[in-house]
Amino acid sequence: MHFAFTPDQHEFAAGLREMLEREFTAARLRHVWESGTGHDAALWARLAEMGVLSMMVPEADGGLGGDFVDTVLLLEELGRAAVPGPVLETMTVGALALAGTKWAAGIADGSGPVTAALLGERYVPHAAIATVYLGVWDREVHAIEDPALADAAIEGIDGGRRLSALAPAVAAGTVLAVDPGLLIDAGALATSAYLLGLSSRMLAIAGDYARDRRQFGQPIGAFQAVKHLMADALLQVEFARPAIYRAAWSFANDTPERGRDVSMAKALASDAALKAARSALQVHGAIGYTWECDLQLFMKKAWALAPAWGNAQHHRRRVADAVLGPR
Amino acid sequence: MDLRETPDEQAFRAEARAWLAANVPKEPLPSFDTEAGFALHREWEAKLYEAGWSAVSWPVEYGGRGADYLKWLIFEEEYWRSGAPGRVSQNGIFLLGPTIMEVGTEEQKARFLPAMASSKEVWAQAWSEPDAGSDMASIRSKARLSDDGTEWIIDGQKIWASRAVWADWCFGIFRTDPESSRHKGLTFILIPLDTPGVTVRPIAQLDGDTGFAEIFFDGVHVPVDNTLGGVGQGWSVAMATAGFERGVSLRSPARFNVAVERLIQLWLRIGDPDDDTMRDAVTDLWMQAEGYRLHTYMTVTKLLDGGTVGSESSLNKIFWSEMDVRAHELALQLLGPEAERMDGPYESWVDGFLFSLSGPIYAGTNEIQRNIIADRVLNLPRS
Repeated sequence: MHFAFTPDQHEFAAGLREMLEREFTAARLRHVWESGTGHDAALWARLAEMGVLSMMVPEADGGLGGDFVDTVLLLEELGRAAVPGPVLETMTVGALALAGTKWAAGIADGSGPVTAALLGERYVPHAAIATVYLGVWDREVHAIEDPALADAAIEGIDGGRRLSALAPAVAAGTVLAVDPGLLIDAGALATSAYLLGLSSRMLAIAGDYARDRRQFGQPIGAFQAVKHLMADALLQVEFARPAIYRAAWSFANDTPERGRDVSMAKALASDAALKAARSALQVHGAIGYTWECDLQLFMKKAWALAPAWGNAQHHRRRVADAVLGPR
Repeated sequence: MDLRETPDEQAFRAEARAWLAANVPKEPLPSFDTEAGFALHREWEAKLYEAGWSAVSWPVEYGGRGADYLKWLIFEEEYWRSGAPGRVSQNGIFLLGPTIMEVGTEEQKARFLPAMASSKEVWAQAWSEPDAGSDMASIRSKARLSDDGTEWIIDGQKIWASRAVWADWCFGIFRTDPESSRHKGLTFILIPLDTPGVTVRPIAQLDGDTGFAEIFFDGVHVPVDNTLGGVGQGWSVAMATAGFERGVSLRSPARFNVAVERLIQLWLRIGDPDDDTMRDAVTDLWMQAEGYRLHTYMTVTKLLDGGTVGSESSLNKIFWSEMDVRAHELALQLLGPEAERMDGPYESWVDGFLFSLSGPIYAGTNEIQRNIIADRVLNLPRS
């Protein structure tokens, strides 16, 4: 039993974090929001160049051939920076679904962002910029190139995750020989890891503010009311962490508990992210309620992703079925 | 990362399970917060020691079996799953023992550790004072050197000393520099409770048992060799002890996994299957207990890889103590009118509920833990 990552896995994640801290600032994220695309093509190319996008793409398709344990820390770093676009979908769901197909190379080299909506979602994220869309018809996963979208624009809460409705009649795509349940677990787990990084970032932003902002003649972070608020949020985030890492291991090793473990991860990660967002906002007070404050870029990502791929309650019920027996 | 047990770990688990199955008392022992129960628990500890299970992570020379922390966790899982008695020796084996190994002299290790492992000597902690609870640095009990410099002479009062009524020794910190204040000038001293001048007065707890006590020191003489760590170093020695208590050892996850497993069995037996709110709440508890188990395995792997555990151990203490209260609250809710009976078939849940309520208070209240997390993990400004 060894519940830790390898030095290589840590190193890769640290390199990604460094790059994102240096190159992908909150100002640049805000610029993506203002561009209306929900995507940063230059950043995408950078992620491809680093091998981040190809981590789970098989070596035969030009990828690194890694598994979910190799990928989970990368997803966490992407979440810490609130990287926009279909990054978690492409890296995990896309890489698994499209392995061995003509689209796999496009994941690895960055030319083919992939999005997916496998739970019957009414609004598909990132469909406008994805070259491949994965959907489910009659329990089969279909890959559709450049899917037709309904004309009406939809404004989502997260400017890094543009939403679309599909056109009423979508042309049938290529049927993939992959279990939709596996892909849904991949999406839920990837979102959990992303939310973990995002939650840590929100608490870091709140911590910076609490050290800086003074009231009653001292930094507000010296007040116990603020300390305890933040400590409670940290507690929830830190106890979600091992559940997410464990789910990555269960996924990578295809254990019988994979579904239960992924659902536990997503339930805890979604709740922790909502708690972190709410706490970070409260620490900021009125300034946190402004458009100008960068915190909103991260909170809104949390509000978009906490429900994505099944919200906490959906996944709690799935854990309940596994642990208590189905109703 | 590999979350499977190695063949060696599996063999260790099987060995522990077999021994426990053959040796755990068939009937639960009376509470160790009673005189008769304490004596029976001490006998059980001796039996554990004889078989090498009382302090599995300790070196063999001190009465352990030199197992690593992962194996200790495995043992704990098997121990609590088997329904074995609570550990009356816990203040010694899990709190003081590791501290002696870290800062004690070779003589102290040889003198105290084997007797601790066998529970020939049971230890009580003596931290708090009537005016030094959460504000532990305001300790006033003092120790001064005798004229010939060979003895400490101790005066003062300690309180909330668990099982001091029946224990043999106590450990605590005392002000040895009368000019000092706060964290300075304190010294960690080990004191036999049968020394003349020591008076132990039992205090009845919420459950009516005299599980804790006040200790009065009136000109108590102990050899200076009973100093643990350096003179004036008491605070940092105490913090090492308390850090270990909060961090890994005091409440192994297995206890909560077993409690939650019992809660699930209770739910399956008497819960209303259509009550989704309760079903969700029980599921949340399962996830919390499982999360705590995983968190501990991650921490222990980090220790085995040469890392250290610092102030983040305060997170554990809040997590397990609040989880334990919640599990018992839920059980009592499920039990309905039975939850009012102290003598019925569900007595252990009612007792367990009362016991769980001490968790957020002892070993540093959860409010103090939140301050520690805020100051040292989140790096917020000190108040």
